[in-house]
This record gives sequence, C-alpha cells and structure tokens, in this order.
Amino acid sequence: MAVLTRTTAWKNFLLSGFFAGALVLSSPADASVFSPTIYDLANGVRLIVVENPLSDAVGHMVWYRTGAADEPDGKTGLAHYLEHMMFKGTAKHPAGSFDAIIARLGGDQNAYTSYDTTAYYEIVPAKNLALVMSLEADRMRGLLIEENEAQSEKNVVLSEREERTGNSSVGAFREELRRVLFPLHPYGRPIIGLRKDVERLTPDDLRAFYRKAYAPQNAVVVVSGNVKHDQVAALAAATYGRLGGGLRPKQPPKISQISHPLKPLFIKEDARVKQPFVTRQYVVSSALKNRQDSLALDVLSEVLTGGEVGILYRHFVIKTRTASGTSAGYNGTTRGPSVFSITASPTPGQTVEHLNQDIAAYLQYLAHKGLKARDVEEAKQRLLDSAVFARDKLLAPAQILGEAEAVGLGAEMVEKWPDNIRRVSTAQVNAALQRLVSNKNMVAGILKPPAMEEKK
Amino acid sequence: MKKGKLSSLLLLSFLTLASSQAMAMPPVQEVISPNGITAWLVEDHHLPLIAISVAFRGGVEQDSKEKQGLSSLTASLMTQGAGTYNADAFQKRLADASIDMGFTAGRDYMIGHMKTLSRNKREAFRLFGLALTQPRFDLEDFTRVRDQQRVAVKSRLASPEWQGRYLLYKELYGEHPYGYRSLGSDQTLSSLSRNDLLERHHNGFAQNNLKVAVVGDVTASELAQDLDILFGALPKQAALKTIEPFSWPTEPISLAITREGTQTDILFLGPMLQRSHPDWYAATIANYTLGGGSFSSRLMKTIRAQEGLTYGISTSLIPMEISSLLSGSFSTDNDKAEQAVALTKKVWQEFYDFGVTQPEVKEAQDYLSGTMALALTSREAIADVLLSMQTDNLGRDYLEKREGLLRAVTREDVNQVIKTWFNPAHLFASFVGQPQGLTSDKAAEMVKE
Repeated sequence: MAVLTRTTAWKNFLLSGFFAGALVLSSPADASVFSPTIYDLANGVRLIVVENPLSDAVGHMVWYRTGAADEPDGKTGLAHYLEHMMFKGTAKHPAGSFDAIIARLGGDQNAYTSYDTTAYYEIVPAKNLALVMSLEADRMRGLLIEENEAQSEKNVVLSEREERTGNSSVGAFREELRRVLFPLHPYGRPIIGLRKDVERLTPDDLRAFYRKAYAPQNAVVVVSGNVKHDQVAALAAATYGRLGGGLRPKQPPKISQISHPLKPLFIKEDARVKQPFVTRQYVVSSALKNRQDSLALDVLSEVLTGGEVGILYRHFVIKTRTASGTSAGYNGTTRGPSVFSITASPTPGQTVEHLNQDIAAYLQYLAHKGLKARDVEEAKQRLLDSAVFARDKLLAPAQILGEAEAVGLGAEMVEKWPDNIRRVSTAQVNAALQRLVSNKNMVAGILKPPAMEEKK
Repeated sequence: MKKGKLSSLLLLSFLTLASSQAMAMPPVQEVISPNGITAWLVEDHHLPLIAISVAFRGGVEQDSKEKQGLSSLTASLMTQGAGTYNADAFQKRLADASIDMGFTAGRDYMIGHMKTLSRNKREAFRLFGLALTQPRFDLEDFTRVRDQQRVAVKSRLASPEWQGRYLLYKELYGEHPYGYRSLGSDQTLSSLSRNDLLERHHNGFAQNNLKVAVVGDVTASELAQDLDILFGALPKQAALKTIEPFSWPTEPISLAITREGTQTDILFLGPMLQRSHPDWYAATIANYTLGGGSFSSRLMKTIRAQEGLTYGISTSLIPMEISSLLSGSFSTDNDKAEQAVALTKKVWQEFYDFGVTQPEVKEAQDYLSGTMALALTSREAIADVLLSMQTDNLGRDYLEKREGLLRAVTREDVNQVIKTWFNPAHLFASFVGQPQGLTSDKAAEMVKE
C-alpha cells in the first residue's frame, strides 16, 4: 500500500505491507539469509553486496533514508515528485538519457517512494554494473531541476494521482482510511500528495529537499547478482566514493511512534464497487520499537492467514463460508509505527458488516482460548522455508536488506531473522494476539456499494 | 555476514567486472522418461529448490458460450483435493512441506506451476501428479471455489480496464471463443456442474498435449524416473475441440461507456501476425519503438514526457494460436481525453506513414537482446521461458540463436511489417469514463455481472 512507483509497468515486488511477514527471510540450513558483505565508504555510503551466481544479471539499488514522512507541512507529495524528477537529467546526462542508456543495455529500472524511504533500482546484464553505478552516483549529487521539466512532470504526477485515487474506488478508500488511522501523523498523508499541495510545489521546494536527502551519508547501495563483492567494492569506490560526503552513515530522523485513530469504524460507499471488503487495521510495534513483539507479529500473521491453512481462512472461507478470501499483513520494517491488517471479502449473500463483526468476535475467541503450539510451530516452519525461496529472486536481497538498512534496523537483523523466528514461543504469539484484540488504536475500514445496490 | 575491507581495493580498474563474467545459466537438456515423456531441464544446484512449469494445449477457448469460466474453475479446483486427500488434507500437506502449487487457465493453454525445496521433492512430485491425474472436484469445494470466482468477477467489474477489455473483446470476437471471459459471469458460473469439470479435466489433460519444463536441484537421470511418477497416469490422448479460424473485421469501431471517475481508460486493439511468422522479430522491434519500450517509446516520450497527459502509455504484442493481437492502453483525465487520443493517433499515423529510423532499429535490437538476461533470474522464471520455448516451437537452442534473429532484422523488414500490421485505421478502441469530446460509434454499456 504505502509504496508508489514511477510507472505502472513496475512489477509488484512484494514490498507492500500485505505479504511482508514472509519476506524478511532466511534459510534453515545455514543461520544467515543472504550472506551479504557490507562496506562503508569513507563518505558515508553503505554498500551491501550479495553474490548470486545463477543468472547473468545484476540488481542494483540505491536507498535513501528519506521518504514522504519527512516532507515539510503543506508540501505533501514532495518526496515522490522528486523521485520522478530524478530521471530528468544532470549536467553530464541530460533529461531522458538515463532511460535511454538503461534501455540500450536491455535493462529494467524504476523507483519508488514510501513513507520512510525512497528507492531506485536497475536490473542489467552483470557486465554493465559499472555504468549503472556511475549513473546513480552522478544523480545523487548532480541533479538539475529545470522549470519546464518540473512543470510537465508535475502533470504526470497529478495524472498518476487521478489514476490511483480519483479513478480507483479502492485507491480513494485506502487514502481516506489512512487519514482516519493516522490523524495528525505523517503516515496519515497520501504519499502521492494532496492535489492542492502538489499543484503548489515549486522547483525550489524540490531543490531544497534534494540537497538535504540525496547525500552519500544518507544512502544505502545494494548489489545482488552474478558479481564478486570485492570487485563491486572497487567499483563503488570509483563512483560513489568520489562524492563529497559526511564521513559516516546517518540515522534517519525519528518519527512519532504513536497514533490515535479518529474512530474505530470507517465505512465508505462507492457506486463503482461491486464486491465489498473489510480491512481491520491495527497500529502496532515496529521491529525498531519492540523486536520481540514484532517477531511474534510476523508469526501471528502467518498463523492467521498463511496460505489456505491459516486459521482465519479455515474458519471463514472453509467452515462458515462467510468469506471468499482472507489475508493478514504485517511489515515491521518501518521507522514509525507499523500496521497489522486483516482483510476479508464476504461471499455472495453475506453482508460485509456482519463479516467484520464475526472476525472481531472470532479473534476475541482465539485470544481467549489461545493458539495451539502446533499451529504456531507449523507457521514458523513455513516462514523459515520461505527464506530459501526468497534467495531465488534476484532483487529480493536488495529490497529486503536495503529497506532494513534504510529504516535504521540494519542488515544484521535480516540475517538473524531465522534464528529469532525459531525462538518465538507460542506464549509470545498468544500475548501478541491478546494485545491485538485489546488494541484500541485500530480502524475497521469497509468499502461497499451504496445500500440500494447491495440489496439487488 | 562479512564486513568488507575497502582500502586495498581502490586501485582496481574500473572495468574489472566486465571481463570476468561467463554465461551463468547451464545448458538446456532434453530428458525423456522410460515411458516416453519429455521435459526440458536446466540443472542447477546452487540452491535446494526445484521449479516445474507445465502447459497443456487447450485453454479458455475450449469453454462453450454458455459455460464460460469452466476452464478457470477447473484449474482452481485441481489443488483442492486429489486422490485420497480431500481439500483440507491436500492443502495441509502442501503447507507442511512448503510446496507452492497452482493451475491457471490461459487463452490457449492450461498452465501449472510447482515449486519445492529439494528435500521435499518426493512428496511434492507425488502431490503434483495427484492434482494432475486425480483431482476430486468434491461438491462442497466446487461450490465454495465457484463462489470465490464469482467474487473475483465482481472485483474485476469495478475496474475501468476490465470494463474496456470485456466490451472490446465482445465487439471484436462476437461468438468466437476468443471473446469468452476467462472467469465467466454470474450466469455462466451458475450453469456449471461438477460433471462439467470432470469432463473438462478428462479431455484436456493428457500426455500428447503436454509440455514440461524443470529447473533446479535435480539431475537428468533422477528426473527421467520422476517424469513417469508425475505424468505417467495421464491419458495418452487429449480430446480437444478444434477452434474455428477468426477473420479480423474490416470495419473497426470505437466504443465509449460512461463510468463515474476522474479519468478515462483507453484501450486499442488491432490484428497482429502469428508468433511462428518469420517477421515476428521485426514486429517486436516495431512494437518496441512505438509503445513497447517504456520510457524509450515514441508514445511514452510524447504523451507522458512531453505533454504530461498520462502516467503511462504502452503497446504490446499478444501472441495467440488462432489470431494474435496488438494492444495499446493508457488513462488520462476526462477533460484531456480528446486531446490525448488525437495525439496518440497522430504519433501512430506518423509511425505508420514514415516507419522507423535506423538508430531506432538498433536501439530496439540492443534492448531486446540484452533484456533476455533479465528474464532468466530465478528458477521459476527460467522454467517459464523453457515452457514457452516449447509451446512456441522455438527450439532448444533458442536462447543462443535469439540475438542473431533480432540482429538480422533490417530497417526495411521493420517498415514492411509496420505497413501490414500497425495500420491505425485497423484499430478498435474503447473509452471508459466520462471522456469529453470522444463519441461512441454505437450504443454500449457497462458489463453488470
């Protein structure tokens, strides 16, 4: 949810909150997950390299420890707008040439902005890594922001906003729900920005934000693919290493860990909607705030909705037949508070309000009765196994390690994740469930057709 | 995790990386089982994983007009109980061994995927074999999954993109099976029975319409034995309907339907040559230049980068057995729809009138050659490539010869293909939204169920 990308062509890389629990992964065979090698350049760039010998390609990512949550008041959408402008040229490489160069290599590239971070990636044949690193290093400090480019790109961003929210019933609903869940908190603003704010953003706003955020000590570079780590380090030194910087990696700015939602129930009717759904969103601990709690939530999410054997799926989809699908999502890799969500869609003939009440009651019942140790252990094993599958994806190490570093959690936490998951006890998962059901900082959001329509 | 030391490495040459890379992917082997079942295999033992992709010829087009949605429902139910395991027990076994398995119905093929840790190979292969040969289609699961499919249909109807697609496919194909909706409608789903599924499965999954691709931690000799466990119990012959040829209507039309919202969703469809046609590579180069090449395409440069009229515009080639398609789409604010469509038509017309330049051909060849490495980055993805190499009859040496085929295309070849296959006068179009200044050639309305 909380991720915007530069084009629709971007394939969904699992970074959004929904499946993140199964993302920060590892292998049961050896204690680590991706076995990265980490370097710190003298100017503060942190470099992470993962060797992956199967393919001929390399994935390269640059993460900045700055996102939409760091925008000044009244300037929502600035981080994302700037992300678009990063493709609009430097003194060395004028507008359009970045796209053209990557295309000539047969490469794939894109960028995305979340509340906490901004990330850029390129996937190219491995022999072209040097070129990609020099391009990213060049635009880390050398971006030119020209008036006319900024104006036409603003139109693109506004068009993107309409495609995502004005024209999408689910998109508009999610934006409003976010405001209810995080009032007076930067996480409650739309990442894409309010239309009135974006319209007023100027090239000077972009430049000021750029100068502050796009600096070596605020950047994490991750390379994953058919490479040798020492060779990558040499390339990084020859490219990123030449930028003037701030000596050591910087910690990202703090974000308030608290939110008190406006109301516990938010219902939106939209005539375009044919299939209603409910999403119960709880404001919970991030891994930064409470590591143990976060690990227990990772397991809880898998116990509740892992595949077709999750407890909620079995109860509502298989047994009572009141839901056609259920999912739970938790991504603890955030600078501010994290969100635990449970989402379900009613079967034909059921009302979404009833389904919401039934889920709340069933969670209460589960918390009271306690989860079975066997269910917890099986969920843990599935999480551990999924680590091996994560290693099969070229960009996954760059995404997972990069995000963990960029929010201030550190790559070590990814590597220790399997061991930590193994140590989570049933009692801890039950305690997490009990906290969840008594958590007042939550909103049940419902999107449905207008009452008349639903009866038909 | 290691902490690297940097100091001593600074003197290394900028280009050290380039010379040391060898082709990483092992060769494509052909494996034949004792009972004569063939698979293509890429053996790789770096990770303890195995990925399998299978295709059975005959997809959604095998449904009938009244029973649209049948192939999709059959595919979904194949992992809901098989052999002696009911749906619960089957799913539990998959979860306990972390086996990822699923089937989907494509236009021309039923596709199956399976991914497992190699330590669970025996269990995974056995369950995959059961799902393929002895799915149960128990009545209660049939009802449940059919309801899930109904819900999926409803969710699609809220999207302007699907509304446009449904509208245009129906207009274009009429009664031809290529116009069928893969998930069906509320009404067609209601008409389905368990017997329909049993019949669809029995007729559509056999050894003679099967292609198999395997990638990962398994040797060729092991796999030869495994293939019989997986597929040995399938019938020898499939019983497929012959699909009538389709002739492209000579009078293309534009349709508009009203949908509440701030933007108009625009879809273009035109005829395209077949995948087996020798000019296919010239067509991919043409498509890249017009709208396939993301930020490098003419449409993206004009409509997005110059004019800021859209967030994204693209075209693509959709190869299909009976009749392929050229498709293009974008969305734009309602009040800019007329301007954006006019500009798109102008760019397209110039492309048709004057063709491509030599540098554009080179650019497209560079991209299309280089990008193959990106399609081969996971075991799953490689299995999918091996599968389409088989269904498209490209030959086991395709990955080696592909760049040569692309490089051999001349500017004249591309321009000839453009004259035949990229004529904007042949395009059907749909506009979904409240487009200002765009009209419908005939009355049309939203699909309701």
